[in-house]
Amino acid sequence: MRILIVEDDAEAGAAMVRGLTEAGNAVVHAADGAEGLKTAEAGGFDVLVVDRMMPRLDGLSLVETLRRQGDQTPVLFLSALGEIEDRVTGLKAGGDDYLVKPYAFAELIARVEALARRRETGSVQTTLRVGELEMDLIGRTVRREGREIDLQPREFQLLEFLMRHAGQSVTRTMLLEKVWEYHFDPQTNVIDVHISRLRAKIDKGFEHPMLQTVRGAGYRLDT
Amino acid sequence: MALPPLLRTTTFRLTLLFLALFAGAGAAFLGYIYLMTAGEVTRLADGAITKEIRTLDAIYAKGGVEALRGAMAERTAIDQPFLYLLLDKTGRRIWGTIPNAPVGQSDERNIVWTRFSVAQSWDGAPREARLARGERQRLSGGEILFVGSDVGNAETYVLKIVRGLWGAGFLVVFLGLGGGILVSRNVTRSVSGLNAVVGAVQGGDLRARVRPQGNGDEFDALAGGLNDMLDRLERSIGGLRHAGDAIAHDLRSPLTRLRTRLEVAMLDVEAGRSDPKAALAQALEDADGVLRTFNAVLAISRLQAAGAAPDQTLFDPSQLAADVAELYQPVCEDKGLDFRAELAGGLTARGNREFLAQAVANILDNAVKYTPEGGAVMLRVRRRSSGEVEFSVTDTGLGVPEAERGRVVERFVRLENSRNQPGAGLGLPLVAAVAQAHGGRLELDEGPGRVGEMGPGLRVAVVLPRVGQDG
Repeated sequence: MRILIVEDDAEAGAAMVRGLTEAGNAVVHAADGAEGLKTAEAGGFDVLVVDRMMPRLDGLSLVETLRRQGDQTPVLFLSALGEIEDRVTGLKAGGDDYLVKPYAFAELIARVEALARRRETGSVQTTLRVGELEMDLIGRTVRREGREIDLQPREFQLLEFLMRHAGQSVTRTMLLEKVWEYHFDPQTNVIDVHISRLRAKIDKGFEHPMLQTVRGAGYRLDT
Repeated sequence: MALPPLLRTTTFRLTLLFLALFAGAGAAFLGYIYLMTAGEVTRLADGAITKEIRTLDAIYAKGGVEALRGAMAERTAIDQPFLYLLLDKTGRRIWGTIPNAPVGQSDERNIVWTRFSVAQSWDGAPREARLARGERQRLSGGEILFVGSDVGNAETYVLKIVRGLWGAGFLVVFLGLGGGILVSRNVTRSVSGLNAVVGAVQGGDLRARVRPQGNGDEFDALAGGLNDMLDRLERSIGGLRHAGDAIAHDLRSPLTRLRTRLEVAMLDVEAGRSDPKAALAQALEDADGVLRTFNAVLAISRLQAAGAAPDQTLFDPSQLAADVAELYQPVCEDKGLDFRAELAGGLTARGNREFLAQAVANILDNAVKYTPEGGAVMLRVRRRSSGEVEFSVTDTGLGVPEAERGRVVERFVRLENSRNQPGAGLGLPLVAAVAQAHGGRLELDEGPGRVGEMGPGLRVAVVLPRVGQDG
């Protein structure tokens, strides 16, 4: 993946470049908003990672300008502003996801990959398939190797998200935000319990487990 | 043009404008009265003179000059006599009560109106010139008869009225100006009190307040409004300052702990007693802990400083509770807790859903943490008879002794028997802050009581104010 990082903090920028490069991406770093806009306009990026507060041109204006020009490259906002209204402002300006500083590398990489993947699946799907696992989005049914699996509505949503991001790590925070739509940090790891319930349903009685725990990051659904 | 400060005030200018309008209207009114009065006096006198001449003319026609002389002499004796003068054909005086004719004799017309002065003495008073009106008529024999009337009294009366009107005019202007100055000074004093406070606030003194005059007028209302505004501003700025202090204070201990651990880890690694990777992993975990603490303290402080939660909408509290319950149900089941939810339908509450969901999650989280296996947790949403909406979680854990209940909502307070549980002691303080930011409150009570090994339990409730009819 080609990723553009627009971040004025040199140290944070360098750390991100290193982390995302080691995860197998081609990364370009722009040191301020104006430079970032110029680089982004040249095109060819799969994901833009944009800091909100920068000299010369702030992240919000940068993304608004790009969107006005018709550029739909997915944008991940980075910000020290973590209030609900800040997040809403960012998403309204055309951002696709919002990550509050400071963050774990695993979180950043998982979100960038999720954004890049989302772009590939443009058309509306009625079924999802990951290996032996098949999900009918209209009939709301799930089968593995043809055997029907009975899921609660929330488990269905959870599995749908994992299937849409199959092969990628998804963090607990991402699941809480995208599946439950909560943006706070529950003190107990409630997500782990939901995952283990889901795991019991889709992996139990089958030869190899599909739902993996990724240490220090979260979970991953593999074929 | 530089006027004295008082005369430049808006009130004084308005007074002047009003005064000018009032004086104009008064002058028009008085002028009309003068015209009517003075005209009437003249008309009355003229009518009487014309009648007298006609009478005398008739006497002359009957009895000639001698009869006329007799009649005039006779009529002079009555109370309010006319002035008479009879001249012969050549203009010589035959008889009269005035010495000479006030008009020339060359005029051939019969009737001539004129105004003239007459010197006369009344009751031995000094002679004075008085105003008179008269009519001259040439009689059929060629003699000239002049009949006049002393209108001095009437004229003087009119003049007195005019003078009185002038006086009244001056009085109105004088009193108006004086009153205007007084009112202006009063208003200026009220406004300058406000100005002084605004100036003080501009200078950074948020404690300045306007002292109301106490007469309940609009200036007092303005002063009250300004004072209220300053109260709120001072509280909110004080809150922010307090929040800053609190965050600095709250973060010092976890940061100190982190630093100590890092230092110990470094010593251990140097001495070969510890694995550097494990030490770094531990440090990362500690840093995350500090960040979590920081986020929680910041959220609490911001809620407290803001006074009201942002983005409040109307929502179904039972739906919100059902969503959170769904999140926690598997955890309860895994721990062997009997978890139930009793959610009343058809309720409406107003608030920030995210904050309230977090508050309910925090209470549930505590209940799950502090209720031993085999216990029960009940989540309930209901409307109180007062119309308030209540979210409550009742558990069968150890509960909180009554004396400690006030303390557990303070930041970083962890009771003795909870120290082996994870957490920083910020869960309930956040719930309390969320409740307050919605105009509600947090209540802690004893649970269902002691049953065997269990209990007495704890009941934690977030109470939101009732939503008015207006939404």
